[in-house]
Amino acid sequence: MAVAQPQLPAWVRFLRERVPVNIEVFEELSKEPIPHHMKSWWYCLGGTPMLLFAIQVVTGILLTFYYRPSPEEAHASVKMISEEVPFGWWIRSMHHWAANLMVVAVGLHMIRVFFTGAYRKPRELNWVVGVGLLFATLGFAFTGYALVYDQLSYWAATVGTNIAGQTPLVGAWMADLLRGGAEVNPTTLTRFFVFHVGAMPTLFAVLLGLHIFLLRIHGVMELDAPEEVQATPLTVEEDREGKRRFDPNRFFAFFPDHVTTELVVGLFLITVVTMLAVVFPAHLGPPANPEETPLHIKPEWYFFPLFRWLKLAPLWLGMAGTLVAGVVLVFWPFFEAAWRVRRPRSETALAVGGVSLALVLAMMIWEALS
Amino acid sequence: MKPAVSWRGAGEGFMSLEFKKLIVALFAVAFIAAVVIVGLIERDRARPEKASRAYADAATRACIDCHDQKHAAVVWNRQWEQSRHAEKGIGCMACHQAQEGDPDLWRHEGYLVATVPSPKDCQSCHEKEFNEFTASHHAKAAQFVGSLDNFLGEVVEGAQAANLGCKQCHGSVVKLDEKGLPLPGGWPNTGIGRVNPDGSLGTCTACHTRHDFSKAQAREPRTCGRCHMGPDHPQIEIYEESKHGIMFVAHRDEMRLDADEWIVGKTYTAAPTCATCHTAATTTQKSTHDVGARISWTLRPLFSKRLENWEVKREAMVKVCLECHGANWVTNYMQMFDDAVEHYNTKFAGPANDVMERLKAAGKVTPTPFDDAIEWTFYELWHHEGRRARHGASMMGPDYTQWHGFYEVAKHFYAKFLPEAEKLLPGVSEVALAHEGHQWKKGMSPEDLKRMIAFYEERYGQRVQ
Repeated sequence: MAVAQPQLPAWVRFLRERVPVNIEVFEELSKEPIPHHMKSWWYCLGGTPMLLFAIQVVTGILLTFYYRPSPEEAHASVKMISEEVPFGWWIRSMHHWAANLMVVAVGLHMIRVFFTGAYRKPRELNWVVGVGLLFATLGFAFTGYALVYDQLSYWAATVGTNIAGQTPLVGAWMADLLRGGAEVNPTTLTRFFVFHVGAMPTLFAVLLGLHIFLLRIHGVMELDAPEEVQATPLTVEEDREGKRRFDPNRFFAFFPDHVTTELVVGLFLITVVTMLAVVFPAHLGPPANPEETPLHIKPEWYFFPLFRWLKLAPLWLGMAGTLVAGVVLVFWPFFEAAWRVRRPRSETALAVGGVSLALVLAMMIWEALS
Repeated sequence: MKPAVSWRGAGEGFMSLEFKKLIVALFAVAFIAAVVIVGLIERDRARPEKASRAYADAATRACIDCHDQKHAAVVWNRQWEQSRHAEKGIGCMACHQAQEGDPDLWRHEGYLVATVPSPKDCQSCHEKEFNEFTASHHAKAAQFVGSLDNFLGEVVEGAQAANLGCKQCHGSVVKLDEKGLPLPGGWPNTGIGRVNPDGSLGTCTACHTRHDFSKAQAREPRTCGRCHMGPDHPQIEIYEESKHGIMFVAHRDEMRLDADEWIVGKTYTAAPTCATCHTAATTTQKSTHDVGARISWTLRPLFSKRLENWEVKREAMVKVCLECHGANWVTNYMQMFDDAVEHYNTKFAGPANDVMERLKAAGKVTPTPFDDAIEWTFYELWHHEGRRARHGASMMGPDYTQWHGFYEVAKHFYAKFLPEAEKLLPGVSEVALAHEGHQWKKGMSPEDLKRMIAFYEERYGQRVQ
């Protein structure tokens, strides 16, 4: 005798027949165990860049409706977006502010991950992917800023691509790839546009997917739990239907608990971005003029540390140092692991991280004040 | 099955699901409020022609509605709506309110309307500008009755010509009919020195055209060029020829002409306009509505003279120059300018005047102006050509200094004026030609001739006879 099934609404049945997937899998996925320390706001930072990325995708698509990536029209189209298109000023300012906040969010998330040692075995690869996302974010910011095509953005692009051109071995090739020529020219804007709205979002989405996938299969590291607790299996009991249950003393469910936390963060962010857009709308300077170099060229604030460092050091040292720092950043979990083989309980990482962070901040402030 | 280890991490409290739901609700409200603000801003921006920024009192509303309905001068409405006055709620009657007994009182639709708003009306808010303007040469532009130019326009040419010619720039005397409406001859007129029914001089709308009274417009070179042009005072042509004018055309997008605070070297650096040098603020001095406050020479009359307090005025102009140029540059330029003016005075203006005085004394020229042919030649020599040379020099227009200026002065002095004078009274120019600048007429020295022949041979391979 068939088990009496509760009558489902017609549209649910319609969908179930046409999309025959096991709903229980989703239920299971939504109950991802989240360690208790994740209830602290400090540990919600990982979600913020993703939320901001979502804002960027939506506002970016809207901006693309009106933006025209040619040197003759770029500035005028941005001006039109800011002045004539209904809500254009808001959308553009949201995009501007979400971009800035995204750099902040990625930075804070990385600091949190670094200082809690969350990149350690077995999560090294996710750190590498994360650093890839950082670079992608900065790449987004750089190409996006150049698209505005006012004087400062044009010259920032010129200086930026010149710096890229100084990279040993591949520099000339990289600068050529970015600019489509020996110097910033009409092709450059098209390339930046394609990078910004096509290539980079694709790369970013892939990296983000990989980042979340790795996170899910490893689970979130249990930060505060004693080691003997961490050593016990995640699954502690089965219910009458044989479903796995997680120890409620150690974990809470992804849904609805953590989702609500992310919702709070998301609403907070979108409100902040909107208010920033209202109070400080995105600026638009005079149109780019390749004939006239402005007196003071400065990149956006997130490139200040690099800019200051390159001003301080001789060019070869500046570029070599930047490259070495980049390589160390990407492969840090492996370097540190090698070090900890010899000194198993070493916390040298904290010192290295602290000093690096202080240096970066100091150079940023120095450049900002100069 | 019991948990293997019982352990609890971070507590509930502020992170309980219930509390988080409350925060979600709060932020949802905050976000909705933020979006409402965005909507309000957008609504404000989207209104046609920024009309939402206009604040119209009841009387102004009545004027606008009626004029719109009857399609009577609706342009005024639209211009006013976009003006700074509209933003500040300065409506029609702020300037057009007349009092019983006013000469320009016009009873119109139940309102006492002043038909000719004057600088006195502007004065009630713009006191500093009124005082500066009233003290300026601009305000006295119509006070030229009795001058040679006035005789030429009103008598030799005729009043009908003067109404639409001279007076449109210099200003008319506005007369009214018994209803308070202005009469032809004096109106319409936006001449800079207009004599108004209330006795005030000038009109602010000469440069700040009604009804948007724009600052930006007064900063436009073309605004000045309406009058400062043509054969006798071609300042706009000189400006357009000069580096200053070229830079303005090339960079007008960067001029920020509509900025509230418009300071050369700070608000804009692309180019100077007429206003930049003569009236606008610089980083070292305030703006002025006395257009002559920085002018040290008068380049208008037969003889150029240094004006009263010329040192102060020169210093004020030099300060403007220094916003963009180095001290050596400015000093050298000013010296060349002064030299050119003095040169004109001594080499051409003085001798020509001496010749005319002698002709008059000998009875060869009558006291009535313009009835002798040589008077026209003499008049054009200083009033047209001589001014062009001096104005060209003052504003860095090389072609006006040279071909439209000193060349024409020299040509007509030597080839027209002196022969005509000699015909009337042989030997009259002898004393005048004593100036060393005229010695070349006695013939070139053999060395000079040799040098010139050598130059042409080297440059063009030609022999010169």
